[in-house]
Amino acid sequence: MPPPDDFTFEVLRNYLLVGAALLALGMLGFLSRRNLIVMFLSAEMMLQGVALTLVGFGRYHGNWTGQVFTIMILTVAACEASIALALTLILYNRRSSLDVTLWQDIREPGQPLVPVASEELTAEPVGPVQGPESYPQLIPAGHEPSHPNLPWTERRD
Amino acid sequence: MHTQAFDLTLAFFVVLLGAIGTYLLLPHRFGSSEPRRTQAVGGGMCGLAVLLFAGFWSPPGPFLSGLFFYVFSFTALGAAVLTITSRSPIYSALWFAAVVLSTSGLFLLEGAQFLAVGTVIVYAGAIIVTFLFVIMLAQMEGHALYDRSARSPFRATITCFMLFWALLYSMFTVRPPLADSAADAKGAKAPRLARMSDLAASDPGVKAVLERASRSTSSLRRADGQFKPHVAGLGETLFTDHLVTVELAGALLFVALIGALSIAPPKPPLRPGRRQAATSNA
Repeated sequence: MPPPDDFTFEVLRNYLLVGAALLALGMLGFLSRRNLIVMFLSAEMMLQGVALTLVGFGRYHGNWTGQVFTIMILTVAACEASIALALTLILYNRRSSLDVTLWQDIREPGQPLVPVASEELTAEPVGPVQGPESYPQLIPAGHEPSHPNLPWTERRD
Repeated sequence: MHTQAFDLTLAFFVVLLGAIGTYLLLPHRFGSSEPRRTQAVGGGMCGLAVLLFAGFWSPPGPFLSGLFFYVFSFTALGAAVLTITSRSPIYSALWFAAVVLSTSGLFLLEGAQFLAVGTVIVYAGAIIVTFLFVIMLAQMEGHALYDRSARSPFRATITCFMLFWALLYSMFTVRPPLADSAADAKGAKAPRLARMSDLAASDPGVKAVLERASRSTSSLRRADGQFKPHVAGLGETLFTDHLVTVELAGALLFVALIGALSIAPPKPPLRPGRRQAATSNA
Protein backbone atom coordinates (compact mmCIF):
# COMPACT_ATOMS: atom_id res chain seq x y z
CA MET A 1 0.00 0.00 0.00
CA PRO A 2 1.65 3.28 -1.04
CA PRO A 3 1.67 6.11 1.51
CA PRO A 4 -1.10 8.70 1.12
CA ASP A 5 -0.16 11.35 -1.38
CA ASP A 6 0.47 14.82 0.02
CA PHE A 7 -0.64 16.37 -3.27
CA THR A 8 -4.29 16.52 -2.25
CA PHE A 9 -7.27 18.00 -4.02
CA GLU A 10 -6.85 21.30 -2.15
CA VAL A 11 -3.25 21.58 -3.34
CA LEU A 12 -4.29 20.76 -6.88
CA ARG A 13 -6.95 23.46 -6.72
CA ASN A 14 -4.30 26.10 -5.97
CA TYR A 15 -2.55 25.42 -9.25
CA LEU A 16 -5.81 25.18 -11.18
CA LEU A 17 -6.83 28.61 -9.86
CA VAL A 18 -3.54 30.25 -10.78
CA GLY A 19 -3.59 28.57 -14.19
CA ALA A 20 -7.15 29.75 -14.87
CA ALA A 21 -6.24 33.32 -13.91
CA LEU A 22 -3.19 33.29 -16.20
CA LEU A 23 -5.31 31.93 -19.06
CA ALA A 24 -8.00 34.59 -18.66
CA LEU A 25 -5.49 37.43 -18.37
CA GLY A 26 -3.56 36.21 -21.41
CA MET A 27 -6.75 36.04 -23.41
CA LEU A 28 -7.63 39.58 -22.32
CA GLY A 29 -4.24 40.80 -23.50
CA PHE A 30 -4.59 39.00 -26.81
CA LEU A 31 -8.05 40.40 -27.48
CA SER A 32 -7.59 43.96 -26.34
CA ARG A 33 -4.01 45.00 -27.05
CA ARG A 34 -3.09 46.19 -30.51
CA ASN A 35 0.68 45.82 -30.47
CA LEU A 36 1.73 42.64 -32.28
CA ILE A 37 4.53 41.91 -29.82
CA VAL A 38 2.29 42.29 -26.78
CA MET A 39 -0.29 40.02 -28.43
CA PHE A 40 2.42 37.41 -28.94
CA LEU A 41 3.45 37.64 -25.28
CA SER A 42 -0.18 37.28 -24.18
CA ALA A 43 -0.59 34.12 -26.24
CA GLU A 44 2.52 32.68 -24.58
CA MET A 45 1.02 33.57 -21.19
CA MET A 46 -2.12 31.56 -21.98
CA LEU A 47 0.13 28.60 -22.74
CA GLN A 48 1.82 29.03 -19.35
CA GLY A 49 -1.54 28.85 -17.58
CA VAL A 50 -2.52 25.69 -19.44
CA ALA A 51 0.86 24.11 -18.69
CA LEU A 52 0.41 24.77 -14.96
CA THR A 53 -2.97 23.04 -15.06
CA LEU A 54 -1.64 20.05 -17.00
CA VAL A 55 1.32 19.47 -14.72
CA GLY A 56 -0.94 19.76 -11.67
CA PHE A 57 -3.37 17.17 -13.02
CA GLY A 58 -0.55 14.83 -13.97
CA ARG A 59 0.88 15.06 -10.47
CA TYR A 60 -2.57 14.53 -8.96
CA HIS A 61 -3.24 11.36 -10.89
CA GLY A 62 0.31 10.16 -10.40
CA ASN A 63 1.44 9.79 -13.99
CA TRP A 64 3.76 11.54 -16.40
CA THR A 65 1.19 12.47 -19.02
CA GLY A 66 0.81 16.07 -17.93
CA GLN A 67 4.53 16.68 -18.08
CA VAL A 68 4.87 15.01 -21.47
CA PHE A 69 2.02 17.15 -22.78
CA THR A 70 3.72 20.23 -21.36
CA ILE A 71 6.94 19.35 -23.18
CA MET A 72 4.83 19.17 -26.33
CA ILE A 73 3.36 22.59 -25.48
CA LEU A 74 6.89 23.98 -25.11
CA THR A 75 7.72 22.63 -28.55
CA VAL A 76 4.62 24.17 -30.08
CA ALA A 77 5.36 27.44 -28.28
CA ALA A 78 8.86 27.51 -29.76
CA CYS A 79 7.46 26.92 -33.26
CA GLU A 80 4.82 29.55 -32.67
CA ALA A 81 7.43 32.03 -31.48
CA SER A 82 9.58 31.56 -34.58
CA ILE A 83 6.69 31.90 -37.01
CA ALA A 84 5.02 34.74 -35.09
CA LEU A 85 8.20 36.79 -34.97
CA ALA A 86 8.84 36.16 -38.67
CA LEU A 87 5.30 37.32 -39.41
CA THR A 88 5.77 40.37 -37.18
CA LEU A 89 8.90 41.26 -39.10
CA ILE A 90 7.20 40.91 -42.46
CA LEU A 91 4.11 42.87 -41.37
CA TYR A 92 6.30 45.62 -39.97
CA ASN A 93 8.20 45.80 -43.23
CA ARG A 94 4.97 46.26 -45.17
CA ARG A 95 3.32 49.00 -43.09
CA SER A 96 6.13 50.31 -40.81
CA SER A 97 3.96 49.81 -37.74
CA LEU A 98 3.24 47.11 -35.21
CA ASP A 99 -0.44 48.03 -35.10
CA VAL A 100 -2.66 45.05 -35.81
CA THR A 101 -5.63 47.27 -36.69
CA LEU A 102 -3.87 48.30 -39.89
CA TRP A 103 -4.44 44.77 -41.11
CA GLN A 104 -8.16 44.71 -40.49
CA ASP A 105 -8.90 45.02 -44.21
CA ILE A 106 -7.87 41.41 -44.78
CA ARG A 107 -10.88 40.20 -42.83
CA GLU A 108 -13.86 38.67 -44.54
CA PRO A 109 -15.58 41.03 -47.00
CA GLY A 110 -18.69 42.68 -45.63
CA GLN A 111 -17.48 42.86 -42.05
CA PRO A 112 -17.51 46.35 -40.55
CA LEU A 113 -14.14 48.06 -40.25
CA VAL A 114 -13.08 50.18 -37.31
CA PRO A 115 -12.46 53.72 -38.59
CA VAL A 116 -8.84 54.43 -37.78
CA ALA A 117 -9.33 58.19 -37.69
CA SER A 118 -11.50 58.03 -34.56
CA GLU A 119 -8.85 56.28 -32.52
CA GLU A 120 -7.05 59.39 -31.46
CA LEU A 121 -10.20 60.21 -29.49
CA THR A 122 -10.17 56.93 -27.56
CA ALA A 123 -6.42 56.79 -26.97
CA GLU A 124 -5.00 57.57 -23.58
CA PRO A 125 -3.72 61.16 -23.41
CA VAL A 126 0.04 61.48 -23.29
CA GLY A 127 1.43 62.72 -20.03
CA PRO A 128 4.51 64.90 -19.78
CA VAL A 129 7.69 62.92 -20.32
CA GLN A 130 10.33 63.12 -17.63
CA GLY A 131 13.51 64.56 -19.12
CA PRO A 132 14.84 67.55 -20.97
CA GLU A 133 11.77 67.70 -23.23
CA SER A 134 9.55 68.65 -20.32
CA TYR A 135 11.74 71.45 -18.98
CA PRO A 136 10.15 74.89 -19.09
CA GLN A 137 10.94 76.74 -22.26
CA LEU A 138 12.10 80.33 -22.18
CA ILE A 139 10.97 82.80 -24.78
CA PRO A 140 14.04 83.84 -26.78
CA ALA A 141 14.82 87.50 -26.40
CA GLY A 142 17.54 89.92 -27.40
CA HIS A 143 20.06 89.56 -30.16
CA GLU A 144 20.52 86.38 -32.11
CA PRO A 145 24.04 85.18 -31.20
CA SER A 146 26.49 84.63 -33.98
CA HIS A 147 27.14 80.96 -33.22
CA PRO A 148 24.98 78.38 -34.97
CA ASN A 149 21.99 77.66 -32.77
CA LEU A 150 21.97 73.87 -32.62
CA PRO A 151 19.08 72.11 -30.95
CA TRP A 152 19.96 70.34 -27.69
CA THR A 153 19.80 66.89 -29.27
CA GLU A 154 22.62 67.66 -31.68
CA ARG A 155 24.87 69.56 -29.32
CA ARG A 156 28.10 67.79 -28.51
CA ASP A 157 29.56 69.88 -25.67
CA MET B 1 -12.96 24.78 4.89
CA HIS B 2 -15.29 27.07 2.99
CA THR B 3 -18.75 26.17 1.90
CA GLN B 4 -19.55 26.20 -1.76
CA ALA B 5 -21.89 29.20 -1.57
CA PHE B 6 -19.22 31.24 0.22
CA ASP B 7 -16.65 30.24 -2.39
CA LEU B 8 -18.91 31.23 -5.25
CA THR B 9 -19.75 34.59 -3.64
CA LEU B 10 -16.10 35.36 -3.07
CA ALA B 11 -15.31 34.27 -6.63
CA PHE B 12 -17.99 36.63 -7.92
CA PHE B 13 -16.39 39.55 -6.10
CA VAL B 14 -12.93 38.53 -7.32
CA VAL B 15 -14.15 38.45 -10.91
CA LEU B 16 -16.02 41.74 -10.57
CA LEU B 17 -13.13 43.60 -8.93
CA GLY B 18 -10.59 42.10 -11.32
CA ALA B 19 -12.69 43.00 -14.35
CA ILE B 20 -13.21 46.61 -13.29
CA GLY B 21 -9.57 46.94 -12.24
CA THR B 22 -8.09 45.58 -15.44
CA TYR B 23 -10.57 47.59 -17.50
CA LEU B 24 -9.35 50.75 -15.78
CA LEU B 25 -5.72 49.70 -16.20
CA LEU B 26 -5.96 49.02 -19.93
CA PRO B 27 -4.69 51.86 -22.08
CA HIS B 28 -7.78 53.82 -22.96
CA ARG B 29 -9.24 57.28 -22.57
CA PHE B 30 -11.74 57.56 -19.74
CA GLY B 31 -13.53 60.82 -20.34
CA SER B 32 -11.52 63.73 -19.06
CA SER B 33 -10.07 61.96 -16.03
CA GLU B 34 -6.36 61.93 -15.39
CA PRO B 35 -4.72 58.68 -16.61
CA ARG B 36 -2.61 58.43 -13.48
CA ARG B 37 -5.66 58.57 -11.24
CA THR B 38 -7.60 55.89 -13.15
CA GLN B 39 -4.49 53.74 -13.13
CA ALA B 40 -4.16 54.11 -9.38
CA VAL B 41 -7.81 53.15 -8.86
CA GLY B 42 -7.51 50.21 -11.27
CA GLY B 43 -4.29 49.02 -9.70
CA GLY B 44 -5.84 49.15 -6.25
CA MET B 45 -8.85 47.15 -7.39
CA CYS B 46 -6.65 44.59 -9.13
CA GLY B 47 -4.50 44.23 -6.03
CA LEU B 48 -7.60 43.76 -3.90
CA ALA B 49 -8.90 41.15 -6.34
CA VAL B 50 -5.61 39.23 -6.21
CA LEU B 51 -5.63 39.38 -2.40
CA LEU B 52 -9.20 38.08 -2.29
CA PHE B 53 -8.25 35.43 -4.83
CA ALA B 54 -5.49 34.31 -2.49
CA GLY B 55 -8.23 33.44 -0.01
CA PHE B 56 -9.00 30.39 -2.13
CA TRP B 57 -5.51 29.01 -1.88
CA SER B 58 -4.56 26.55 0.79
CA PRO B 59 -0.86 26.49 1.62
CA PRO B 60 0.67 23.32 0.22
CA GLY B 61 2.83 21.43 2.65
CA PRO B 62 5.06 22.87 5.36
CA PHE B 63 6.02 26.49 5.93
CA LEU B 64 8.72 26.96 3.32
CA SER B 65 6.90 25.43 0.36
CA GLY B 66 3.75 27.31 1.33
CA LEU B 67 5.70 30.56 1.48
CA PHE B 68 7.25 29.93 -1.91
CA PHE B 69 3.87 29.01 -3.35
CA TYR B 70 2.39 32.32 -2.21
CA VAL B 71 5.39 34.30 -3.47
CA PHE B 72 5.37 32.65 -6.89
CA SER B 73 1.60 32.89 -7.30
CA PHE B 74 1.40 36.56 -6.34
CA THR B 75 4.32 37.34 -8.66
CA ALA B 76 2.73 35.41 -11.51
CA LEU B 77 -0.65 37.10 -11.22
CA GLY B 78 0.68 40.62 -10.64
CA ALA B 79 3.18 40.34 -13.46
CA ALA B 80 0.48 38.93 -15.74
CA VAL B 81 -1.72 41.97 -15.13
CA LEU B 82 1.23 44.27 -15.72
CA THR B 83 2.21 42.40 -18.91
CA ILE B 84 -1.09 43.08 -20.58
CA THR B 85 -1.49 46.63 -19.31
CA SER B 86 1.99 48.07 -19.80
CA ARG B 87 2.09 50.87 -22.34
CA SER B 88 5.61 50.07 -23.47
CA PRO B 89 6.29 46.67 -25.07
CA ILE B 90 9.70 46.61 -23.36
CA TYR B 91 8.02 46.62 -19.97
CA SER B 92 5.56 44.01 -21.22
CA ALA B 93 8.43 41.71 -22.15
CA LEU B 94 10.10 42.27 -18.77
CA TRP B 95 6.92 41.48 -16.84
CA PHE B 96 6.37 38.45 -19.01
CA ALA B 97 9.83 37.27 -17.97
CA ALA B 98 8.64 37.57 -14.37
CA VAL B 99 5.56 35.50 -15.23
CA VAL B 100 7.73 32.79 -16.78
CA LEU B 101 10.15 32.70 -13.85
CA SER B 102 7.38 32.40 -11.27
CA THR B 103 5.58 29.78 -13.36
CA SER B 104 8.72 27.70 -13.43
CA GLY B 105 8.88 28.11 -9.64
CA LEU B 106 5.34 26.73 -9.46
CA PHE B 107 6.42 23.85 -11.71
CA LEU B 108 9.14 23.12 -9.21
CA LEU B 109 6.59 23.04 -6.38
CA GLU B 110 4.44 20.69 -8.44
CA GLY B 111 7.35 18.30 -8.71
CA ALA B 112 8.29 18.94 -12.33
CA GLN B 113 11.95 19.87 -12.03
CA PHE B 114 12.86 19.18 -15.64
CA LEU B 115 10.02 21.36 -16.91
CA ALA B 116 10.98 24.18 -14.58
CA VAL B 117 14.50 24.28 -15.99
CA GLY B 118 13.30 23.70 -19.55
CA THR B 119 10.80 26.55 -19.32
CA VAL B 120 13.45 28.94 -18.07
CA ILE B 121 15.85 27.95 -20.85
CA VAL B 122 13.33 27.99 -23.70
CA TYR B 123 11.55 31.15 -22.65
CA ALA B 124 14.76 32.97 -21.80
CA GLY B 125 15.75 32.56 -25.45
CA ALA B 126 12.29 33.52 -26.65
CA ILE B 127 12.19 36.62 -24.48
CA ILE B 128 15.65 37.76 -25.54
CA VAL B 129 14.59 37.45 -29.19
CA THR B 130 11.40 39.36 -28.40
CA PHE B 131 13.52 42.04 -26.79
CA LEU B 132 15.58 42.31 -29.94
CA PHE B 133 12.40 42.74 -31.93
CA VAL B 134 11.09 45.40 -29.58
CA ILE B 135 14.34 47.31 -29.80
CA MET B 136 14.39 46.98 -33.59
CA LEU B 137 10.78 47.76 -34.33
CA ALA B 138 9.12 49.66 -31.54
CA GLN B 139 8.76 53.38 -31.45
CA MET B 140 11.43 54.64 -29.12
CA GLU B 141 10.19 58.12 -28.22
CA GLY B 142 6.95 58.21 -26.33
CA HIS B 143 4.25 55.62 -26.71
CA ALA B 144 2.68 54.90 -30.07
CA LEU B 145 -0.98 55.50 -30.67
CA TYR B 146 -1.69 51.78 -30.85
CA ASP B 147 -0.02 51.25 -27.48
CA ARG B 148 -2.20 53.91 -25.90
CA SER B 149 -5.57 52.68 -27.13
CA ALA B 150 -6.85 49.20 -26.49
CA ARG B 151 -9.13 47.56 -29.01
CA SER B 152 -12.70 47.58 -27.61
CA PRO B 153 -11.48 47.10 -24.02
CA PHE B 154 -14.93 46.88 -22.45
CA ARG B 155 -16.12 43.95 -24.54
CA ALA B 156 -12.75 42.17 -24.28
CA THR B 157 -12.77 42.51 -20.49
CA ILE B 158 -16.34 41.22 -20.25
CA THR B 159 -15.49 38.22 -22.46
CA CYS B 160 -12.34 37.22 -20.64
CA PHE B 161 -13.68 37.64 -17.13
CA MET B 162 -16.82 35.70 -18.08
CA LEU B 163 -14.45 32.92 -19.14
CA PHE B 164 -12.62 33.29 -15.82
CA TRP B 165 -15.93 33.13 -13.94
CA ALA B 166 -16.91 29.98 -15.86
CA LEU B 167 -13.60 28.33 -14.98
CA LEU B 168 -13.93 29.29 -11.31
CA TYR B 169 -17.53 28.10 -11.20
CA SER B 170 -16.67 24.74 -12.66
CA MET B 171 -13.77 24.45 -10.24
CA PHE B 172 -15.87 25.18 -7.17
CA THR B 173 -18.74 22.90 -8.11
CA VAL B 174 -16.41 19.90 -8.41
CA ARG B 175 -16.19 18.20 -5.02
CA PRO B 176 -13.05 16.67 -3.60
CA PRO B 177 -12.93 12.90 -3.57
CA LEU B 178 -13.61 10.85 -0.44
CA ALA B 179 -15.43 13.59 1.45
CA ASP B 180 -17.15 12.77 4.73
CA SER B 181 -20.31 10.72 4.55
CA ALA B 182 -22.70 13.56 5.50
CA ALA B 183 -21.67 15.62 2.50
CA ASP B 184 -21.74 12.43 0.49
CA ALA B 185 -25.38 11.78 1.31
CA LYS B 186 -26.38 15.38 0.62
CA GLY B 187 -24.70 15.80 -2.74
CA ALA B 188 -24.33 12.30 -4.02
CA LYS B 189 -24.94 13.39 -7.58
CA ALA B 190 -22.42 16.22 -7.52
CA PRO B 191 -19.41 15.56 -9.74
CA ARG B 192 -16.34 14.40 -7.90
CA LEU B 193 -12.75 14.51 -8.98
CA ALA B 194 -11.30 11.15 -8.01
CA ARG B 195 -7.76 9.99 -8.46
CA MET B 196 -7.22 7.06 -10.72
CA SER B 197 -5.52 5.14 -7.93
CA ASP B 198 -8.46 5.77 -5.58
CA LEU B 199 -10.88 4.55 -8.23
CA ALA B 200 -8.77 1.47 -8.67
CA ALA B 201 -8.73 0.85 -4.92
CA SER B 202 -12.51 1.09 -4.62
CA ASP B 203 -13.58 -0.78 -7.75
CA PRO B 204 -11.94 -4.04 -8.88
CA GLY B 205 -13.26 -3.62 -12.42
CA VAL B 206 -11.57 -0.24 -12.79
CA LYS B 207 -8.43 -1.72 -11.29
CA ALA B 208 -8.34 -4.52 -13.88
CA VAL B 209 -8.84 -2.04 -16.73
CA LEU B 210 -6.16 0.27 -15.35
CA GLU B 211 -3.68 -2.55 -14.98
CA ARG B 212 -4.24 -3.60 -18.56
CA ALA B 213 -4.21 -0.07 -19.95
CA SER B 214 -1.35 1.58 -18.07
CA ARG B 215 2.23 0.53 -18.08
CA SER B 216 4.74 0.71 -15.28
CA THR B 217 6.64 3.39 -17.16
CA SER B 218 3.73 5.81 -17.15
CA SER B 219 3.46 6.15 -13.38
CA LEU B 220 5.27 8.68 -11.22
CA ARG B 221 5.94 6.02 -8.61
CA ARG B 222 7.61 2.66 -8.56
CA ALA B 223 5.72 -0.45 -7.51
CA ASP B 224 6.76 0.04 -3.87
CA GLY B 225 5.22 3.51 -3.77
CA GLN B 226 8.44 5.54 -3.87
CA PHE B 227 8.93 8.27 -6.44
CA LYS B 228 11.11 7.42 -9.41
CA PRO B 229 14.17 9.59 -10.00
CA HIS B 230 12.72 12.52 -11.89
CA VAL B 231 14.60 12.93 -15.15
CA ALA B 232 15.16 9.19 -15.51
CA GLY B 233 11.45 8.50 -15.14
CA LEU B 234 10.47 11.30 -17.50
CA GLY B 235 12.92 10.12 -20.14
CA GLU B 236 11.72 6.57 -19.71
CA THR B 237 8.09 7.42 -20.32
CA LEU B 238 9.00 9.88 -23.08
CA PHE B 239 10.94 7.32 -25.07
CA THR B 240 8.73 4.29 -24.45
CA ASP B 241 5.10 5.45 -24.16
CA HIS B 242 5.38 8.65 -26.15
CA LEU B 243 7.97 7.84 -28.80
CA VAL B 244 5.74 8.90 -31.70
CA THR B 245 5.06 12.17 -29.87
CA VAL B 246 8.77 12.89 -29.70
CA GLU B 247 9.15 12.20 -33.39
CA LEU B 248 6.17 14.41 -34.17
CA ALA B 249 7.63 17.22 -32.06
CA GLY B 250 10.87 16.99 -34.00
CA ALA B 251 9.01 17.06 -37.31
CA LEU B 252 6.98 20.04 -36.11
CA LEU B 253 10.10 21.98 -35.17
CA PHE B 254 11.62 21.22 -38.57
CA VAL B 255 8.51 22.36 -40.42
CA ALA B 256 8.35 25.54 -38.34
CA LEU B 257 12.00 26.22 -39.14
CA ILE B 258 11.33 25.90 -42.85
CA GLY B 259 8.21 28.02 -42.54
CA ALA B 260 9.96 30.81 -40.67
CA LEU B 261 12.81 30.78 -43.19
CA SER B 262 10.40 31.03 -46.09
CA ILE B 263 8.34 33.81 -44.47
CA ALA B 264 10.99 36.07 -43.02
CA PRO B 265 13.40 37.13 -45.83
CA PRO B 266 12.19 40.27 -47.59
CA LYS B 267 11.00 39.69 -51.11
CA PRO B 268 10.68 42.28 -53.86
CA PRO B 269 7.07 43.46 -54.08
CA LEU B 270 4.93 42.01 -56.83
CA ARG B 271 3.87 44.75 -59.21
CA PRO B 272 2.37 44.53 -62.66
CA GLY B 273 4.96 45.12 -65.33
CA ARG B 274 7.94 44.54 -63.04
CA ARG B 275 8.16 40.84 -63.41
CA GLN B 276 11.54 41.03 -65.05
CA ALA B 277 13.10 42.99 -62.21
CA ALA B 278 11.60 40.72 -59.61
CA THR B 279 12.99 37.58 -61.13
CA SER B 280 16.40 39.10 -61.73
CA ASN B 281 16.55 40.17 -58.07
CA ALA B 282 15.65 36.73 -56.87
